[in-house]
Amino acid sequence: MAEKRKSMIKFKPKKFKVGDVIKVDFIVIHPMDTGTKKNKKTGEVIPSKYIDNITFSFDGKPFTSMKVWETVSTNPYFSVNFKVPAKGKITVDYTDNTGEKNSKSKKLKPKG
Amino acid sequence: MKRRNFIKSVFGASVVAVTLTPVSIMAEDKKAGNKLSYAEAEKVITGGKGAKDSDKIKLTVPEIAENGAVVPVKVMVDNPMEEANYVKAIHVLASKNGNSRCADVMLSPLNGKGYFATRIKLGGTQDVVALVELSNGTFIKTAKSVKVTIGGCG
Repeated sequence: MAEKRKSMIKFKPKKFKVGDVIKVDFIVIHPMDTGTKKNKKTGEVIPSKYIDNITFSFDGKPFTSMKVWETVSTNPYFSVNFKVPAKGKITVDYTDNTGEKNSKSKKLKPKG
Repeated sequence: MKRRNFIKSVFGASVVAVTLTPVSIMAEDKKAGNKLSYAEAEKVITGGKGAKDSDKIKLTVPEIAENGAVVPVKVMVDNPMEEANYVKAIHVLASKNGNSRCADVMLSPLNGKGYFATRIKLGGTQDVVALVELSNGTFIKTAKSVKVTIGGCG
């Protein structure tokens, strides 16, 4: 059975060369619960569950790291720039405050 | 008789105390370490040095946010990204949220530009602050006010 897609990496623009500075967008499905909301039916507090650390790497070498708080929106979006050094792979590793770990990769294919 | 009354009053008081404390506040208390005001957060981030206002930082936020749960924030710093001089970190904060911190982004010269964008929650009308650390150890900042019609923190 195919795994449901939990996150997505997008490069903007889609076509680029070595040396170009592109945008790397990372979008992830995550509730980002703050721990201050109540379940309207049961009245119980929904415990906090939010992404707290993200690391962006190129061929295994980290180039951006983020500390994220529960104040970031649900199903969050993160965008940074990246100066394309060569063909390779971008990997985004992320963890949340409950210890859940995930990872997403995308091949970087510059033209020329 | 006296002892029974004493126990009754102690027990009664504690029952009242528990029911008066909303569960949501008790849950928040557990996370007290993360509930820094903007002033406290700035002190922690800058190691007490503080930050100078700078127009090198271009902060883009909506003037009015219809939905406080999803407020787009874009930060672009006009500064090189070379080994000897680069934008080391961009911190996004909200001046009046219970936890003023939203994200801390540690960059490197390989980013090419001192840029970061995300979407944050705002509990009400307040300032969004971009607090930036440069590789030479100095801190600069800029802030913009966002009017929020429906608060986004639940």
